[in-house]
Amino acid sequence: MLGLAGAGLFVAALDAYLVVTLLPAMITDVGLTIERFEQATPILTGFLCGYVIAMPLLGAYSDVRGRAPVYAACVVVFAAGSVVTTTAGSLPWLVAGRVLQGLGGGGLVPLTLALAADLYEDRARTLALGAVSGLQEAGSVFGPIYGATLASAASAAGGWRFVFWLNVPLAAICAAGLLVASRDRGISRTSVNRVAGEPAGTFENRANEQARTFDNRASEVARTFDWKSACLLGLGLGLLVVALYPDDPDHRATSGLFIPLGILSLLVLALYGWRQLRALEPLIPRQLLRSPRFAGVTAANVLIGAALMVALVDVPILGRLVFNLDQLASGLLLTQFLVGVPVGAILGGVVAGRIGERLTAVLGTLLAAAAFLQMSTWQATELAMRAGPFRSADIALAACGLGFGIVIAPLAATVLQLTRAQHHGLASSLVVLARVMGMLIGLSALTAFGLFRFRQILGTPQLTDPDVRARIEHLGRLVAAAFLQEYREIFTIAAGMCIVAAVVIFATLRRETPRLSLTPSSPPR
Amino acid sequence: MLAGVAMVSVALTACGGLQAEDPGQVLRDAGAAMAKISTVSATLKFTQGSVSFQGYVLTGATAAVRLPADSDTTYKVKYQDLLIGLQVVITGGHVYLRPPFSGFTEVTGATAAAIPNLAKLFDVQTGLPAMIPAGNNPTYIGTEKVADVDSHKVSATYSAAQIAKLLPQLSSSGDVAATIWVGGSDHLIRKAVLSGPFGDGGTASSVEIDLSAFNAAVAIASPTP
Repeated sequence: MLGLAGAGLFVAALDAYLVVTLLPAMITDVGLTIERFEQATPILTGFLCGYVIAMPLLGAYSDVRGRAPVYAACVVVFAAGSVVTTTAGSLPWLVAGRVLQGLGGGGLVPLTLALAADLYEDRARTLALGAVSGLQEAGSVFGPIYGATLASAASAAGGWRFVFWLNVPLAAICAAGLLVASRDRGISRTSVNRVAGEPAGTFENRANEQARTFDNRASEVARTFDWKSACLLGLGLGLLVVALYPDDPDHRATSGLFIPLGILSLLVLALYGWRQLRALEPLIPRQLLRSPRFAGVTAANVLIGAALMVALVDVPILGRLVFNLDQLASGLLLTQFLVGVPVGAILGGVVAGRIGERLTAVLGTLLAAAAFLQMSTWQATELAMRAGPFRSADIALAACGLGFGIVIAPLAATVLQLTRAQHHGLASSLVVLARVMGMLIGLSALTAFGLFRFRQILGTPQLTDPDVRARIEHLGRLVAAAFLQEYREIFTIAAGMCIVAAVVIFATLRRETPRLSLTPSSPPR
Repeated sequence: MLAGVAMVSVALTACGGLQAEDPGQVLRDAGAAMAKISTVSATLKFTQGSVSFQGYVLTGATAAVRLPADSDTTYKVKYQDLLIGLQVVITGGHVYLRPPFSGFTEVTGATAAAIPNLAKLFDVQTGLPAMIPAGNNPTYIGTEKVADVDSHKVSATYSAAQIAKLLPQLSSSGDVAATIWVGGSDHLIRKAVLSGPFGDGGTASSVEIDLSAFNAAVAIASPTP
């Protein structure tokens, strides 16, 4: 059952970033020209916005309505979004489809985590939560290469549109399977933390006092579900994305309404934070919010998410525009990075057990920073440069992926250490949420900066070549050079973000703190 | 019976009570009306086949035309799987080109001659006003609203020789089937769909043309290279 739920989550996570390699084909199909590239940003940010809005909202909602029905509803929304996306004939429909996909896909994260917490206990629960978080991470990371490979293989069947069509049967299998399995096991409307198929009385007898307290609190949370906070979070992030939207990259880096929208966004997000601190039933336990270690891990995850986005988005685009690779080859350029992430994740877990989470996380982020610094020196002929039997670009990308992978386990473990087993689902969800928020903000800000810098670097060339074709080829070379310079600067910024994340981790993960209870009023043990 | 009357009433209301007409007359009226326009905006979208522009696959174009000979057209062409817009301004006999991100520069000689001037499409002697009434086998299809205008929908066939007269750069290896929407009150052509072997190498191709903003103000100035 968890396998089915995880499969749905994996498909949704794949969809978050598969558009990176499909973006040129998608925008060409809806008639968007390269000089209006900024208008394609909402294809990515729209999904992430929906994802971030749904993630904190639907976990608690499923406490009321039951995991399986809400999961099925999310999958239906995701599939509907996929249909809108794949049939889109214009940019607004494409963006609308992606937002719907994000709303459905984002809801699957807390639901699958909560389902893992429902179905397993103790050590098995921790393993299940880890597996679900791993699926989410793997889906995000493998998305670009999955999209490029599938679209190339299915070029005769619609290319990128086929990739989104495929979501429909996959989603149907996951939703139907989960509904059937939950009916068989009788857990579709059970409360949080109840073991599948186990009568309530048996469970109560086996549960300790703390778990009962948790169940009671969870039920209260369910009854007083904080829609307003979730809406405030969505509105605040949405405003921030719009404020960072480069509506006129010829003249400014961000939206013309950056200041008023930015201020409004900060006010709304501040109001959200205030509600979290003051409300009786916050979505996030107050004691967790007040923990310096949790704050440090969250801040580091936001920075790492933004830097991770640079690698996932910019490397394939660089491959396409500067290295002149086709759709599949630009996706495959990320292979070494993608291999590095899971290898690093395992390595991070092993190393953290020996030298501690703090030092391991710092080393991971510094490795990623070093890789970005090397990438900031890339040339247009980079793919021809070799270091021994390997391409130097592949070594840098592998190191970058390895660094990001190494960070995953220590940061996740730190948050899990801060919470009791009953809260691991929420805590893991918060780790993912922080990273996705970092990705969203990072993507919006770096797109704004990148396009503005691109226009600055390129200027307004006067092409006087003898014929039209020669002029376009000449322009192509100038554009590639400008993109390369722009991406070098973005890689430098990503390196800076990794270094800041390392400093934050080093400063905040200094000492052990007691495990926190979800119950807002109870003191830490 | 009542339902049938109601449906006919709804259909008539939807199209403003436009009555079926002789298709040949619709095309003649369209030719006459199009001969009187001074400006027009056009959008072309290729929906089938491959048509090249300067060696690049053309996917569509938008144009503002001021008759008799000025036009401001942006051609959308594929460049390394990406779409780029090439803006061409033709005014006073000069041809100016602006590739994306760059400034205008004048093109001359054979290069300029190879770039179509969409204003020629509306030339009274050789363009649509002259060609449209000469369609073979005109057939009245019905009435439809196009851009909120009640229009007659008529089909006709045009020979390769007729097509070649429209634009020197346009060639077809066979007859071209056209479906034309003509405004019921002003007789202006609102939309046309052309299908025939006018793609690269005589392959089957189809283009959808939308016309709007008839006689509206159009500013086409000589760009400063």
